[in-house]
Amino acid sequence: MSVADQVMAIRRSAALSPGDHIACARVSGADAHEAIDRVSPRELYVRSGQMLHTLLLDPDARPVADVYLCADEDDFLVLAEGPDGPALAELLAAGARGLDAAVTDLGASHGVLCLNGPYAWEVLAEVSTPDVIGLPYLGFFHEERFTCFRAGSAGEYGYVLLTARERLDELRATVLDVGARFDLAEAGLEALERAALEAFFWNPRRESPAGVTPIEMQLQWRVSYGRAFTGAGALAARRGAARSRAVLIAGEGPLAGGAEVTAGGEPAGTLLHAGASPTRGDWLAVALLDLSIAHPGVELDAGGAPARVISAPAVNNRSLYVDPQRHSYASREADAFPPLVRPS
Amino acid sequence: MRPDIEARVAEREEILAVLRDVLIQRLHLRREPDELDPDAPLFGSGFGLDSLDAVELVVCLESELGVRVADGALMRGSFRSLNTLVDLVLAERAAAGGQP
Repeated sequence: MSVADQVMAIRRSAALSPGDHIACARVSGADAHEAIDRVSPRELYVRSGQMLHTLLLDPDARPVADVYLCADEDDFLVLAEGPDGPALAELLAAGARGLDAAVTDLGASHGVLCLNGPYAWEVLAEVSTPDVIGLPYLGFFHEERFTCFRAGSAGEYGYVLLTARERLDELRATVLDVGARFDLAEAGLEALERAALEAFFWNPRRESPAGVTPIEMQLQWRVSYGRAFTGAGALAARRGAARSRAVLIAGEGPLAGGAEVTAGGEPAGTLLHAGASPTRGDWLAVALLDLSIAHPGVELDAGGAPARVISAPAVNNRSLYVDPQRHSYASREADAFPPLVRPS
Repeated sequence: MRPDIEARVAEREEILAVLRDVLIQRLHLRREPDELDPDAPLFGSGFGLDSLDAVELVVCLESELGVRVADGALMRGSFRSLNTLVDLVLAERAAAGGQP
């Protein structure tokens, strides 16, 4: 199946993906909360079974990890994209230094699957329990075979399934078997990244060049000013001094990461990450642009291709309109949903 | 910058400022205006707005910007970020024969 078809499965039905790009660690011990609080750039207001979506920054305030901090009774589970397991453990260990808190990289003992799509909830309800339908965004629960986190980067119903490595193949087979009735597809990392690009969901592997902070990347909602955390000083210093902003741009022709952008013939910025949008039928890119022109509607030249800034997200996710109490994949043809792309 | 682009940016900035003020003053978001990035998600984990906030936002769109939201369900796509709200305001103004 092509990457485009995989993305369209994420947009229209559901898709199962390997989660090898997600590192997972457990922080345990009497001081686990304090250890996590030390590294979190955001106020740590989570109860057991809830997740906090934040970042980890380097000392220059460059975001290096897309992170979910998950309160699990007295422990914390941490899911992260960006660093690998050992690197994540090292970042967390810095917060645990001198405390009664142990960091365990779960990479060797556990594996991850990702399930995304407007009907992902329906697949998972049959794999697990109908209670999945009531799981709120950024909530999680344990069941005998796996831990289920409600999170994703495609803008659709998304679930991350963490299971013991020896059970991973069996769980994958079970989801695929149940998912056959929902036209479940298998999607790779490239499709996930393309869907995330359409959703303007920050990609730590491709959208974190040297010199940027959460301010330029429009990620300030994931940090709290006034807290002490790695990079806090550099972030505060950048406040009010940022001169660029990452925005979504769209073009009819191919766009390529690294291309120089001009506006009215003047240098305006750089493309960080680009790709074809299967949902829209055009090309999208995250561009780091001069603040003065980083507004929807501004027309650009991106490496020779005409393009324009658009509002994020770039798609009208079906999951916004699919209500598990009223809809199902079986009745999708009869259910009237708005188009997947907002009229421009 | 070309004058037409400059004017378009200025109009968007003006609407953005009103919307940021609504989020802080009326929806009691504990953030400074410069922290409210225009493409950040309004609901869920972003600014953390909920369904009650959405109702208040609809009311404020009319009272502060003169935009009446006819069908909330169909307008969900316009309630994704501050920028999509600005798009909505501009589209409504254009439809009403105001500024493009």
